Amino acid sequence: MLIEVKNLYKIYNEGKENEVRALDGIDLQIDRGEFVAIIGASGSGKSTLMNVLGLLDIPTYGEYHLDGDDVTTLTDKKQAHTRNKQIGFIFQGYNLIPALSAAENVELPLIYQGLPIDEREVRVEEALHKVSMFDRSGHKPSEMSGGQQQRIAIARAIATHPPIIMADEPTGALDSKTGKHVLEILHTLHQETGTTVILITHDNSIAATADRVVRISDGKIIYDGPREGAGL
Amino acid sequence: MNLKQAFKIAAKSIAAKKGRSALTMLGVIIGLTAVIILVSFAKGQNKWLEDYYASMVDNSISIYAYKWSMYGSDESVAEDLYSYCQQMSDYLIGVTPMSQVYGNTTIKFGSKTITQDNTDWNSRPQIYLGNQQYTVCQGYTLAKGRDLTYLDVEKLNQVCVLGAKAAATIFDYADPVGQTIYINGTPITVVGLYEDSGLDEYSSKDRVILMPYTLSRLFNGNVDSGQFIAVAKDATSATLAVTMLNGYGKGLVGDNGSFWAENQNQYIDNSNEQSRMQQLFLGGIAAISLLVGGIGIMNIMLVTVTERTREIGIRKAIGAERKSIIAQFLIEACLICGLGGLIGIAIGYLGTAIVCKLVLGFISWPDMTVTVGSFLFSLAMGVIFGLYPAVKASGLQPVEALRAD
Ligand SMILES: Nc1ncnc2c1ncn2[C@@H]1O[C@H](COP(=O)(O)OP(=O)(O)OP(=O)(O)O)[C@@H](O)[C@H]1O
Ligand SMILES: [Mg+2]
Repeated sequence: MLIEVKNLYKIYNEGKENEVRALDGIDLQIDRGEFVAIIGASGSGKSTLMNVLGLLDIPTYGEYHLDGDDVTTLTDKKQAHTRNKQIGFIFQGYNLIPALSAAENVELPLIYQGLPIDEREVRVEEALHKVSMFDRSGHKPSEMSGGQQQRIAIARAIATHPPIIMADEPTGALDSKTGKHVLEILHTLHQETGTTVILITHDNSIAATADRVVRISDGKIIYDGPREGAGL
Repeated sequence: MNLKQAFKIAAKSIAAKKGRSALTMLGVIIGLTAVIILVSFAKGQNKWLEDYYASMVDNSISIYAYKWSMYGSDESVAEDLYSYCQQMSDYLIGVTPMSQVYGNTTIKFGSKTITQDNTDWNSRPQIYLGNQQYTVCQGYTLAKGRDLTYLDVEKLNQVCVLGAKAAATIFDYADPVGQTIYINGTPITVVGLYEDSGLDEYSSKDRVILMPYTLSRLFNGNVDSGQFIAVAKDATSATLAVTMLNGYGKGLVGDNGSFWAENQNQYIDNSNEQSRMQQLFLGGIAAISLLVGGIGIMNIMLVTVTERTREIGIRKAIGAERKSIIAQFLIEACLICGLGGLIGIAIGYLGTAIVCKLVLGFISWPDMTVTVGSFLFSLAMGVIFGLYPAVKASGLQPVEALRAD
């Protein structure tokens, strides 16, 4: 099992009157090669779940095994390595470094991985080609449209060839046509390389493209199964 | 993640944020330039003041020694004072009586007559009476012929030494040595000529006609002025000599006369205090400008904390370790502040040269301690405030850093 989560809680302001249970006892298992859509209303805890799964945030309680390893007790350094090697993130707000060019943004995780320059160049080129953005290598994020920036962010996520891609509303800021294009890229990646994709969305039609759908509400999983039974 | 990669990332980050990097660098440059120029200028100004006061220091001692005798003034006073001063040769360069021949004198040479009526005051020769040490006491250099001698004084020789302008006025640039002039009808042989001291026309120094003071009986009705001038080797000797002379002089003139010796240096004694105050004041200004420069650096560094916090969140999300983020920011700060510092020092030296040359007329280079000290200070400011966001944000969970707005 690639991802195995048991009894996961993320509680803000615990014990106080403004306590929020963003994750309220999540049990979840995701296998290698799956394409999972996590769906739910706004504020239901989708982003919180992704952040915990992606080691961007720590759970309040619960167990989390990634590829068999207990990652809740990892040191900061090991967590950084895990994020770098195992996971590629795609955010709703792109999160590119504005001062760096497209190619430099894509190159960054490879530098942190310690790859030599010639290998980095090959990977950057390959990743940019996959999202059809190679001709924009030298452009700064501010010189690109939202859809183009998101494609650069995808290139950055896939450049390290991670086994898992986590995308939090990757199409949320895009028009439907551009969004569809971004979604296609993720599906192609999943089919061609067998990458595990965890896609967070509140859009039923996007969730309907996934094999498996997990629906959460108020921090709890209320449905987990094939898309056909998800009531999309 | 090794140092080379941290360097690469830092260099990329600096190059990518040219505007902000330049602005930060500008803060460092301005701070350092200001400090270096101010401190060096202050130092130069102090040196200028010191030189000025040094030039004001006058090691000459005015002496008034007068004693009555049955026949009027007592000539032996001059001789006694002279021989006493010879004993003080450790402190004194020389001593001479000094009086001027007053009244409307007539100087004749050949067909030429110079009087008060036919000659402008600023070219009219001034007749002084002194001894063989007059030359050294007044700082003349002999150009031609010979100086007055002890014998000239002793034997009342009717001789004189001419200042350059006096010679020019009387002899129209012909060689005066060996010629005889007539002063109030008395024949006086010119034995020597002084070099032109290069002073302007208002100075009477080069218009001198120096004769043995013993000739006073021929020119000043044998009235002794009682005035002497002695020259000490340096300021300390002058002070000592004044004390010694005053002790000696009381015994010399006794109750039948008066004696005093004094030196001007005591009136410029507070000069050191003044230059110390100046130094403190300008040191204060330098400290303030360093502080202002430092605050400038701090400001620019802190203004970008939010922006950089997001960036740190992104870097953490894609797998940067805490230590590589800190290394990146440290290297960035060092590169920017170090480079800015070097440029600031270069401009500071250039500015110092220009300002000092223009205002003071000479170049006073900055002290190494000031240069290195202010460089290290701005580097430290840059590193402290450059590292601040990195240390703070890299300790956050990536989500928290990403949420920064
Ligand atoms: N730092 C925080 N402090 C307190 N409460 C928080 C914090 N972050 C999130 N929450 C709360 O946790 C709950 C889940 O938030 P989360 O961002 O996971 O929702 P979401 O499902 O991603 O919503 P959306 O679709 O709007 O992005 C929300 O009620 C939110 O208010
Ligand atoms: Mg969300």
